[in-house]
Formats: sequence, structure tokens, C-alpha cells
Amino acid sequence: MILQLRDISKTYRTRTPQGNVEALTSVDLEIQEGEVVSFVGPSGCGKSTLLNMVAGLLRPTTGHIVFDGEPMTEPSRRIGFMFQQPVLLPWRSVRKNVLLPSEVFGSKSDEMNQRAEEVLQLVGLGDFLGALPQHLSGGMQQRVALARVLVYEPRMLLMDEPFGALDEFTRETMNLELLRLTKPTGITVLFVTHNILEAVFLADRVVVMSPRPGRVAGIVDVPFGEERAIEIMRNPGFTDLVFRVRSLLGDTPGDDSMTSDLDSDRESVRW
Amino acid sequence: MVIEKDLPVPRATESGLDRDERERIATARRYRVGSFLVAVAIFVLWELLPRSGLVPEIILPPISSIAYALYTLVQTDFFLDHFLVTLNEIVWGFVIGTVIGLAVGIVLGVWGGAKKLFYPFVVAFQAVPKIVLAPLLISWFGYGQMSKVSMAVVISFFPVLINTMVGLENVPRDMVRLMQSLRASRRQIFTKVELPAAAPLMFAGVKTALTFAVIGAIVGEFVGAAEGLGFLLYTYNFQLRIDRVFSVIIILSLIGGILYFFVEWVDKKLIYWRQD
Repeated sequence: MILQLRDISKTYRTRTPQGNVEALTSVDLEIQEGEVVSFVGPSGCGKSTLLNMVAGLLRPTTGHIVFDGEPMTEPSRRIGFMFQQPVLLPWRSVRKNVLLPSEVFGSKSDEMNQRAEEVLQLVGLGDFLGALPQHLSGGMQQRVALARVLVYEPRMLLMDEPFGALDEFTRETMNLELLRLTKPTGITVLFVTHNILEAVFLADRVVVMSPRPGRVAGIVDVPFGEERAIEIMRNPGFTDLVFRVRSLLGDTPGDDSMTSDLDSDRESVRW
Repeated sequence: MVIEKDLPVPRATESGLDRDERERIATARRYRVGSFLVAVAIFVLWELLPRSGLVPEIILPPISSIAYALYTLVQTDFFLDHFLVTLNEIVWGFVIGTVIGLAVGIVLGVWGGAKKLFYPFVVAFQAVPKIVLAPLLISWFGYGQMSKVSMAVVISFFPVLINTMVGLENVPRDMVRLMQSLRASRRQIFTKVELPAAAPLMFAGVKTALTFAVIGAIVGEFVGAAEGLGFLLYTYNFQLRIDRVFSVIIILSLIGGILYFFVEWVDKKLIYWRQD
């Protein structure tokens, strides 16, 4: 077990008439090493909040997060984080963006340089090392972001709707790429999405969440092996799983009126 | 499916441009020619109105007289001194104003406490029309260049300060969060993300500061000086040598223009990722 969440809850203080908003309440979860777990739910269900707490960017109001046997209190370099936007630094070339983590870690060297090039080759951007991000398409930018996180070989990868801004075809390609790149490394992946197909396609387990207050509505095991191609979506078993997720979501329809801004309006750890 | 072979297909021409492209270039050329013609018309009117007596030469000298006055002005033995004095005031005022603006802007932009504490005073200071400070600065720093430099500083630091502060406050949140997720130090976040992310806006402030520094130096000279182009302009105006007044205006515009293009050039080199 690499990650353990015990009775996690998060309450935001707001100035609205509703008073405090419970973004997340009593989440208990255990995640095994090498697992791909996706979190799916409507906006306001606290899935991004949860991910940010696992990343150490946000503190839970109650409960404990134990990562690799140690309580999580601050960000760890053994955890990689990917955002919905690529968040590339526009003044840095593709190569230098991927070298950013090693610069921050103070491990800048020829070795890292070579490793960065290898990873960029791996994500199919070997010909774009010197390009500025603004000259790349959205999908390519997200590949750079993936390379930037894979380059320092974290043990766990947290992805906050990383392909949500991409078109459907690019998203599908990126899903396959993600599996191709992460499966051989045995990295644990936590993947937040609001796309049910994506959630089922990628994951070993799907955590279905419901809003107000955000909580786990149910967990669906995905019994497909590691080798996955788009064809498994034709599998009746796949469709069943999608409908199970859907029915878990079903009794708690998304309601944007109260909590929609929670995901975007989270505070992060102070300096 | 049948392909209509007879249909005229837009083709790339020898120059490799399609029709839209060529039309765009032609339109641009027509406007350039048009602008040139407008300029010629203005110059012709400028020459003819005073010559015909419709406008007194004391109000608007013919452009040829101005050109001649400019020609003789730059050949006088005192011109270069005045020119260098003003250039000196502008450049120092600009440099000091920019440095102060950057420093204060960074402190206010990075440290929220400093902003809460000092920003009201900054705003209050900005509400003062800076020109009213000119007499005061002259009584503080004397008749020489110092008072003009300080005038240029006072008027030019503010746009840099504001743009620096706003630029630092509007660094994309996710960039900072990315750095936090990598456990970057405060210093790393500042140098690797915040500073470059704010740079385009900061530099826009620097460009404004340059224009303001020119104004500051000249206003300072107007209020009280014994040298400099502003002093020269004021003196010629008093002597009713309007052709020379226009000559000095042209020189000052050239200084402003050349400095601006220089800063613009630096901007393009420095902020190479800016998309227009």
C-alpha cells in the first residue's frame, strides 16, 4: 500500500450566506503501489480538492494522509502533479521546461539533460526540443507536461483532469500514451476526470464521487488487464462498468449552483 | 465522384503567394502611399499658409524656415552642451526611476504585508499632479541637473512600480502551484517563475517610464534652469524665435523617439516569447 487516506474531510470557510462549505467529508481510501485509480464525479464533488490534499498543496481539515508509510504534510518530490492546463513556462524551450524539476532539485547535469531528451523522445517530441511551447498544439503541450513529470521518476502521479481541455481524438491518443508510458514503470496514478469513459478505460479502480458534501459514492473495480486498446470499449463488460459508474453518479446529479467554484477557488499551502 | 476539371482553381503564383496574400500586400502598399501623400499635403500647407500671410509667421513659421533654423541650431557651439545636459537628465531620470519602480514594485508585489502597509501612500502620491513638485524640487536640489533628474524620477517611477506589482500579482496560479509541487524554495519560485512571468508587463511599464522621463526633465527645465534643451526652448519662445522653438521641439521628439525604439528593441530581445 502506497497511499492511505483516513477519514479525510475539508471544509472551506466562505462569506456566502450558506456559511462554511463542506467540500469533502470522511473519505477513507487505500491505494496499492502501481495501481491506476481514477476519480470521477460532477463538479463540486471535491475530487480536485482531494487530489490537492494528496499532493500536499492543501491541508485536510480532519484526517490523515499517509504516503509510503509517512504522514503527508507538504509536497513531496516523489509525487508528480499534472494540471488540467499544461502549465508550461512560455519563455522556456520544450527541453528546458522538462529540465525545470531537475533545476529545482539542484541536480542539473549532463545526465539529466540526456534523461530529458530520452523522455521527450518517448512521448514523441524528440524533434521539438528547442521549440517554444506556444508553437505546439494543445496535445503536444500536454505531452511536454507529462515528460516534465516523468523525467524525475516520481512514485506516484497525480493528474487533475489533464486531458479535459483536449479534443476527443487527442484525448483518446493521450489516454493510450499515458498507459504506454506509465504501466512499465509501475508508477501509481491518481487520475481525476469528469469523463466516465476515460475513467473506466484508464483505471484499475474507479472511485465515484458525489457532491454536497463531497464523498465517495462507490468504488468500481475494472477487471481488465494492463494491455488496453481502444477496442475494449466495445466489450460488453466495459459498457456494464460504465453504466455502473453512471448509476452511482445517477442519484446525485451535479448541481453547479452552490459549489461550482470550489474546485477552482481552493487555497493552497502558504509559504 | 466526378471532379470538375474546368473549374478555375486558385493557384500559387511564381512568388509563392496566393491571391488573398497579394491583395493584402497591395492594400498595405496603397495605404503607405496614402500616408506619404498626407504628409506631403501637410508640409505643403505648412509652407504655404505662413508664406501667403493667412497665418502670421510668428505663430507658424514656414517649414522651410524651421528646417533652416534647425540646420543652423545644430551648428552653434552651444547646442551640443544643451543637448547633452538634457539627454543626461533624461537617461539618469529614466534609469533611477526604473530601478526604484522595479524595487518598490517587487516588494509590494511579492510581499502582501508591504502592499497593505504602503500601497495607500503610493496611491495618494500618484494623485499628486507631479508637475506641482517641480518648484519644490528646484528649491531642494538647486538650479542644476539634480532637480531635473529628480523630476524625471518622480514622474517616471510610478508606471514601472504599478506594472511590476500587477505583473507579480497576476502570475498564473498554476505555475506557482507547479513549483510548490516540486518543493521549490521561495527564491526559486521568484527567479524561475514569477519574475519572467511578470516581465512582459514590467517592461511595458519601463517603456512608459521613458516617455515620462523626457517630460519630467523638460518640465524641470521649464520651471528653472540655466541649461538644457527645455531651457533653450523656453528662451527662444521668450525671444519670439519661433522657428528655433520648433527646431528644439523636433530635436526633443527625436530624442524621445530614438530612446523609445531602443527600449522597444531591448523589449523584443528580452521578452522573446511575447505573442502579439
